Amino acid sequence: MNLQAVNANLSGVPFFRFLNFAIRDIGEFHAQAEMTFATRHIGNPVMEHYHGGIIASFMEATAAIAVKPDFADVPAKPINLTVDYLRPGVKGPLLARATVTRKGRRIASVSAMAWQTDRDKPVAEGLYHFLLV
Amino acid sequence: MSGIDKTRMERIAHRWNARGSGLITHMALKIEEVSAEGVLVRMPFNPDFCVDRDQTLLHGGILTALLDSVFGLANFVAIEGISTMATLDLRVDYLRAAQSRADVIVRAHCFRQTRHICFDSGSIWFDGREGAEIARGTATFALTRGETGFYDSAITEEGGPA
Repeated sequence: MNLQAVNANLSGVPFFRFLNFAIRDIGEFHAQAEMTFATRHIGNPVMEHYHGGIIASFMEATAAIAVKPDFADVPAKPINLTVDYLRPGVKGPLLARATVTRKGRRIASVSAMAWQTDRDKPVAEGLYHFLLV
Repeated sequence: MSGIDKTRMERIAHRWNARGSGLITHMALKIEEVSAEGVLVRMPFNPDFCVDRDQTLLHGGILTALLDSVFGLANFVAIEGISTMATLDLRVDYLRAAQSRADVIVRAHCFRQTRHICFDSGSIWFDGREGAEIARGTATFALTRGETGFYDSAITEEGGPA
């Protein structure tokens, strides 16, 4: 599935529009996305940092697309997640990369990371499971 | 934890509800109950948070965001003198498809606090369906304690309870 088709597909999801991101790179076992900062993403109004839940949601969305970019109605079904918050997400673009570690018949395990200007300084890392049936 | 009086809790709740911009405002959260044992918060249905075109199925991420937010409130209520707080990690299980246009109810509490770290847990269901949890989560937070906490200083500035 090419980038344009993937982005057209995800634009039909209301919450993905709320997050306001685009897929920049996609392959058989990965997806990379960029989210544009918006006031509605703020968790700490004083510092204007991203809300932790928005960071987790963005990584979840990217992970779901890595698992199933050509979803027909709704994105891949999430089972659970673990997120490690490493640095504050400051005002500005946020990038995420999701890597499918294992995709079986029923379950997929996906690791994700989010960063801003320096990929070696991640904002968060996450592990997500999806149900494929 | 006997030192938390009702007025302080009401002040914290009021202040939290009045927070300016950002996701919490967008979620339009309403505090229903606040006590040292925990907090109960309501999030009205919002079609922006759905994944389907019919807008009846909530995205898991918004439930994760909701837990993270409400844990923050539970911490400010349970722990005196927090000046800052950062989420260290968050684990969420999505127990059922979150399919409904009903309001979402969250109950959360801080079940253990130390000088530097606190531990929270919470669960989420649709209003009127408490027996059918849609998500459950736990999180840990790193705390910075000050002479007076963020909300306590705000209480002083506002001149105390009416």
